Amino acid sequence: MTKLWRSVAFRLALFCGVLVIGSTAVFSAIFYFGTIRKLDQEVDQKIASISERLANNFEARGFEALQREIQTLLTDKFDVDTEIYFLVGPDGEKVVGNLSAGQEFTSPFDQPISREVIRDGLPSSARLVLHKLPNGAVLVVGRDMKDLNGIAKLIWRTIGIGGVIALVLAIGGTILFRYLLERRVGAIRQTVEEIEAGNLTKRIPVSGVEDEFARLSDDMNHMLDRIEHLMDGVRHVSNTIAHNVRTPLSQIRGHLDESLRAGASASRLTEAAEFSIAQVDGLIIVLDKLLQIAESESGTRRRPFKPVALREVVTTVVELYDAIAEAQGIVLITKIEGDPKTIGDKDLLASALANLLDNALKYGGRSVTVCVRETPETGTVSLLVQDNGPGIPPEERPKVIQRFYRLDQRVPGTGLGLSIVAAIAHLHEAALHLEDAGPGLLARIVLPLRVSI
Amino acid sequence: MSVHCLIIEDEADTAHFVCNGLKEAGYTVMWCRKSVEALDIATSEQWDIIILDRMLPGNVDGLSIVKTLRELGKTTPVLILSALASLDERVRGLRGGGDDYLTKPFAFSELLARVEALTRRSKLSEDVGELRVADLKLDLRMRRVERAGMPIPLQPREFRLLEYLVRHQNQIVTRTMLLESVWDYHFDPQTNVIDVQISRLRSKIDKGFSPPLLHTVRGAGYMVSVHD
Repeated sequence: MTKLWRSVAFRLALFCGVLVIGSTAVFSAIFYFGTIRKLDQEVDQKIASISERLANNFEARGFEALQREIQTLLTDKFDVDTEIYFLVGPDGEKVVGNLSAGQEFTSPFDQPISREVIRDGLPSSARLVLHKLPNGAVLVVGRDMKDLNGIAKLIWRTIGIGGVIALVLAIGGTILFRYLLERRVGAIRQTVEEIEAGNLTKRIPVSGVEDEFARLSDDMNHMLDRIEHLMDGVRHVSNTIAHNVRTPLSQIRGHLDESLRAGASASRLTEAAEFSIAQVDGLIIVLDKLLQIAESESGTRRRPFKPVALREVVTTVVELYDAIAEAQGIVLITKIEGDPKTIGDKDLLASALANLLDNALKYGGRSVTVCVRETPETGTVSLLVQDNGPGIPPEERPKVIQRFYRLDQRVPGTGLGLSIVAAIAHLHEAALHLEDAGPGLLARIVLPLRVSI
Repeated sequence: MSVHCLIIEDEADTAHFVCNGLKEAGYTVMWCRKSVEALDIATSEQWDIIILDRMLPGNVDGLSIVKTLRELGKTTPVLILSALASLDERVRGLRGGGDDYLTKPFAFSELLARVEALTRRSKLSEDVGELRVADLKLDLRMRRVERAGMPIPLQPREFRLLEYLVRHQNQIVTRTMLLESVWDYHFDPQTNVIDVQISRLRSKIDKGFSPPLLHTVRGAGYMVSVHD
């Protein structure tokens, strides 16, 4: 029972059922009071007023006149089927009326009562008003209720049958509703179970009907698409990481293996050790960078962001790279407009700029411009690194941000630089844009501007 | 007199690697692997430097040892070794009282250079107005450099680079130490930016003069010294 009670479908359907039965009951009650009771009240009023009229008549014209009037009322062919008039003399004997003699009419007086009587020799249930006249006689005015009781019985039966039908419908509806709901939910659950078992390509079948379940299924399918996409991404990243870690590892292993072979010279051993250390150092760098990306992407850095003066960041990083630019014969130009500030992490922003400069010096042309530009209208500040080298073809631009993707395999590098920049930008709620500088590449990070500190 | 060095590290391999290296370099080394004893030993004896692992057995963070030391008023230089490599952890380590922070895995030359920098630091007063090595003279007040009486124009950042190297003369200084101290940023530039900075500085202070003062120590870093 508790299991059944836990079913939302059951509870909902039960609620509806109770509602149906309740409303039927209310409807029946209104119907009952609007008909039977109304008729009863009218009867009571009518007999009370006749009784009063006759009593007044007696007072005005006497007992004889009252007898005559009752006689007239009984013979006027009006309401013959239902009328009841009966006059009992002060001595307790029947004087006139259509009830059989010998029936006792004592109290209560002057109020409508229901009673079994014998009218024209036939038993019948009646509504009566008794009135004691000043001379000790008792006047009985009433109405035979046989016909009205028949109607009441009919109405009660109708209400009863209607109620039973409503109950049956409610129970049937509950079962049907529960079944339908179970079927819709069951389809979703079955899909979820299959996905749980590992089949991530499974989707919830969507029927043509545009109802709530279809919308829910649709939303869930979208969510599943997103999860599958992310899982694919993770798988792809894992594969590339594995590839990029395995390659140096197998090289290290090869060198060490070879150095252990019989007859290896001391210099061979040294060479193998040095090679291995260099490769391991490279692996450590890759690992550090991957961690940095993961840390930035997850956005879980606990160190709170602070106001950062971009002038200082740019100056420092440019001062770090000016020697290498000079050595390569590349002109490094810095343009800083005003004293723009943003909110962020100065080490990470410097790292992003350093990575962009690294790329520009490696792949760019003879001139590299670093520029910081405020746009107060949009409340942003742009950090730009522009070179006049070959640039990146438009179709390659989204790819170079992926981890380990390298445009030019001949130039040494980890293939993580732009991934780091993108992750750092993401952490700063900024975006990394790669654009055509015609010729060359324009890398732009748009950060929120912080005017006053 | 040799330098006394306490190593607090639970992992035997790393500890041996560090101990042997430091002994070879002429240090007196003591190894302690339990965090409970570590605090006792660290406070009861006089040490020139403490090398401290952050993750110690029993879920003890080595930082708590540094904190206690500092609360007791001990100013012994502490080099924190840790596999926790993120910038946040590094900042936490240095704020927590550590003097330097080195992440695992590390090259021994990097550790040695940092240990030397920390143990000799106190001997050179910060307040000198002038630094000298052979005939190279740095005027710290006027930010001027001259060699054999001839003025050498340097950019501000080059001056700071030279100042750091001369302050640590006869010690090996690594690339990361230079990046952290002279540029005051914590990130790894991909290319050999520091090497190129050094060679430009070298061409300014050594070219046409004798003896050469700015040396490259292969596989480790750089050193300013009169001797080769």
